[in-house]
Amino acid sequence: MRRFNRGLLPLTIANIKSYYRDRAALFWTIAFPVIFVILFGSIFSGGPTTFNVGWVDQDQSSASAQLREGFAAVGLLELKDATQADALAQMQDGTLDAVIVVPAGLGAAMTTSTPEGTTAVPFQLTLYTDPSKQSASGTIQQVVGQVVGGINQTLSGKPPALAVQAQPIQTENLTSAAYFVPSILAMALMQLGVFAAIPLVAQREKQILKRLGATPLARSTLVGSNVFTRLLIAVVQTMIIIGIGVLLFGVSVLQPLAVAALVVLGAVTFVSIGYVIASYARTEDSANTLASVVQFPLMFLSGIFFPIAFMPQWLQPVAAFLPLTYLGDALRQTMVGGAAYAPLYVDVLVLAGWLIVSFLISARFFRWQ
Amino acid sequence: MTNVAAVISVSDLHKSYGDVEAVNGVSFEVARGEVFGLLGPNGAGKTTTIEILEGLNNSDAGTVSVLGLDPARDNAKLKERIGVQLQTAALYPNLTVVELINVFRSFYSHSRPTEELISEFGLEERRTGLTKELSGGQRQRLSVALAMVNDPELIFLDEPTTGLDPQARRSLWDRVTALKEDGRTVVMTTHYMEEAEQLCDRVAIMDHGRILESGTVSEVVRSHFKDRTVRFRTRAGLDDARLASLRNVTRVAQEVDETVLYTTDVPATIVDLERVAEEVGASGLDVAVKRPTLEDVFLELTGRALRD
Repeated sequence: MRRFNRGLLPLTIANIKSYYRDRAALFWTIAFPVIFVILFGSIFSGGPTTFNVGWVDQDQSSASAQLREGFAAVGLLELKDATQADALAQMQDGTLDAVIVVPAGLGAAMTTSTPEGTTAVPFQLTLYTDPSKQSASGTIQQVVGQVVGGINQTLSGKPPALAVQAQPIQTENLTSAAYFVPSILAMALMQLGVFAAIPLVAQREKQILKRLGATPLARSTLVGSNVFTRLLIAVVQTMIIIGIGVLLFGVSVLQPLAVAALVVLGAVTFVSIGYVIASYARTEDSANTLASVVQFPLMFLSGIFFPIAFMPQWLQPVAAFLPLTYLGDALRQTMVGGAAYAPLYVDVLVLAGWLIVSFLISARFFRWQ
Repeated sequence: MTNVAAVISVSDLHKSYGDVEAVNGVSFEVARGEVFGLLGPNGAGKTTTIEILEGLNNSDAGTVSVLGLDPARDNAKLKERIGVQLQTAALYPNLTVVELINVFRSFYSHSRPTEELISEFGLEERRTGLTKELSGGQRQRLSVALAMVNDPELIFLDEPTTGLDPQARRSLWDRVTALKEDGRTVVMTTHYMEEAEQLCDRVAIMDHGRILESGTVSEVVRSHFKDRTVRFRTRAGLDDARLASLRNVTRVAQEVDETVLYTTDVPATIVDLERVAEEVGASGLDVAVKRPTLEDVFLELTGRALRD
């Protein structure tokens, strides 16, 4: 441990200084995501502020009425009562953007308290959206997810107080910013990670690694310092992206601690993947090319720009395999209460799996000379 | 049979990469306080040999002792006590001279004050300049200064003056001489014969992974060329047979625009040469006496010029 600590802090400070004096690196990791957030924010903020949603209440209980109030209170959804058949027909001719169906049995489910020690089976609402209206559908999914999430939080195993009004619903959160701010944060962490080991490849190419190898500096310190530097940059990126989200687009962060933990987990996971890339690249140029090749499918197939449900069926299994899918999903859930693609623990497990596998591969195959 | 005063002792060292035998049975010793030069063309095995001594590379066979330590086993301990300068001087281009020296100091348990190193290597004016903005000579001096950060007993310099202008080269020679005067041991590689003759107490000439010759510069030269040379501009009428019959001439050679007479007695040969020249009416011979250089030995041993 003493050997590991020796040189760790000075080397990390040196890495950070080298980094902020390198204009190109600064642009790609700080300015680029900022431009992205602002650009996306401006494009999607210009869309319609309300959506017409068919409300099909097959339960007709006081619980379902309260649920309707909960959705109406959001202000973004214009609820039109209809039968399921009518509503779906209207969605087809474009009068409605989406349809929410509350099946019979909601009231009964809410008044029955769950016996001690058992878990309640979640009550299912059905949401129909129009895949041809991608950004509208994305936003509506977020809104519904958020309202339902809000109700579930209030219930939390207690007697049937479906006090939707008492639940502060973050109306300002329920814009498309709620979708793209966590997504862009995930994307930025991914980019930071896959390009993370390139300084090391460059140092190997210029024989700096060899020169450092002739000093008592431990290799673990060298890697530790590199990872540590990337984590610090990740923290700065996160603060900037979330800061812009909060200040310009009214996003607020629901679970700051969980978000912080996920940022660290995500950064470390993608840094490990970056080291795998560095293990297979001989030169700085080939490492850059390889990192770009890895980055693009991650960017477009991981539900960063649109929900995975909108992807063609045959591509969806690919998304289910990619780590960025789970980081974006976890950040959306914890930041803005977005609809879950997978349960949070699954997100964390998948990321941890990628982390461990990449760590083992790079520890085995990274070449020092 | 290891010399007690030996700082480095290498015996029957082998290292191959696949089918290529980079080092093929090398043995030598370096005494304390000595400047030892390892000479050879590119690919001769110099760098591999030095990297094994520095603990940067493993040997396949043979025994190596550096400062009484085994570089493979006591790696960390050895690195505390040696200084290494590599050929490529690129180091953290976006750090300043002071910052870079300080980072390197943090790697060692014992280190010299930064300011002392900066003034010793004449880098005062560039203390806060980024290393990527240094001139070739300054960068090379910084690179040697970094090798001195831990006050090492033993310093490895890999072609320290390659690519430098003559003035920068001389200033670096002064630094190496000062290291020797401090009682430190220096192992260096170089492409410049003049540099080896100027700085090295002893040299070893390597090619194809073997040491072909070693000793002091004059020993190495004398063992190959007992004779000195008398050179003059070639003139018609002085044929080789005639020249070979001059007193004490052992060999006649024609070079680009010179005739070279190898002789065991320079004054006698010159007297004879002038007499013969007068006979055939040749004038303006421009006679020069030279002793053979390391370069000549090198050419003879490896068939290539050192700088190839």
